[in-house]
Amino acid sequence: MGKHEIRLRRQRMAARGSDRFRNYSAVMKQHGEGKRIKLITRIFTFIFLIIALILVFVVVSRWEKKQTGSEQKTSQIEIVQTAS
Amino acid sequence: MTEDEIRKEQAIIERSKKDPQAFGELYEKHFDRIFNYILRQTDNDELTGDLCSQTFVNALNNLGKYEFRGFPFSAWLYKIAGNEVNKHYRKNKGKKIFSIEELKVRELVEQTTDTWDEELINRVIRYMNELPTDMIQVLELRFFEDKDFKEIAFILDMTESGAKMRTYRALDKLRTNFNLKVKYDG
Repeated sequence: MGKHEIRLRRQRMAARGSDRFRNYSAVMKQHGEGKRIKLITRIFTFIFLIIALILVFVVVSRWEKKQTGSEQKTSQIEIVQTAS
Repeated sequence: MTEDEIRKEQAIIERSKKDPQAFGELYEKHFDRIFNYILRQTDNDELTGDLCSQTFVNALNNLGKYEFRGFPFSAWLYKIAGNEVNKHYRKNKGKKIFSIEELKVRELVEQTTDTWDEELINRVIRYMNELPTDMIQVLELRFFEDKDFKEIAFILDMTESGAKMRTYRALDKLRTNFNLKVKYDG
């Protein structure tokens, strides 16, 4: 047996009428809402990316500062050791 | 569809890309066909209403990506509608329904006499229940929606030869199993 079921319809399709489901303003409304959600998602994604970039920048600059600080300390120790 | 009609439709599509209100004309033009196409695959008016409106919302949302590929605009709508129906069945894990008009079955097997053999029709329906779903989809578009094989291939995302092969195989079986004359055009 297939993954479908065949049903026989005695009357013609047109007789059933689709007019009560015809509503273009509802389609427009749904389209407008979808557009708004898309825009909001884009804005949030953009803000999130900016925050992530700032965080990466801060972490990298702190790490660099730390690196240069420890390098200075080791060179100072070396100077003191060679002087003594 | 004549070239002039296709050109006019393309002009409306281009207008609709800038102004969604213009899409209303295409909605009115294609609503009944798309509604009936979905209804044939659901047999449920309310569900069809929802899926049909979702089809047009999706079409409107993606209209910017639409480009003319030699098919009428309705083929693109059929494709979206088919995807919506499949999505519904995947989500609900239900058996796909094909609701076929008796008159169309009569046309398919070319039995035009008024005395319709109930037993024969039940056997044809039983036979169609045994066919693979993709074969039924092709048969439905070919004989109940009157689409050509090129359009069917586009709607169902298959090759034209694949669509032809499925149709001919199903019809060959129908002819041999039931000793019937069937509508057999390419």
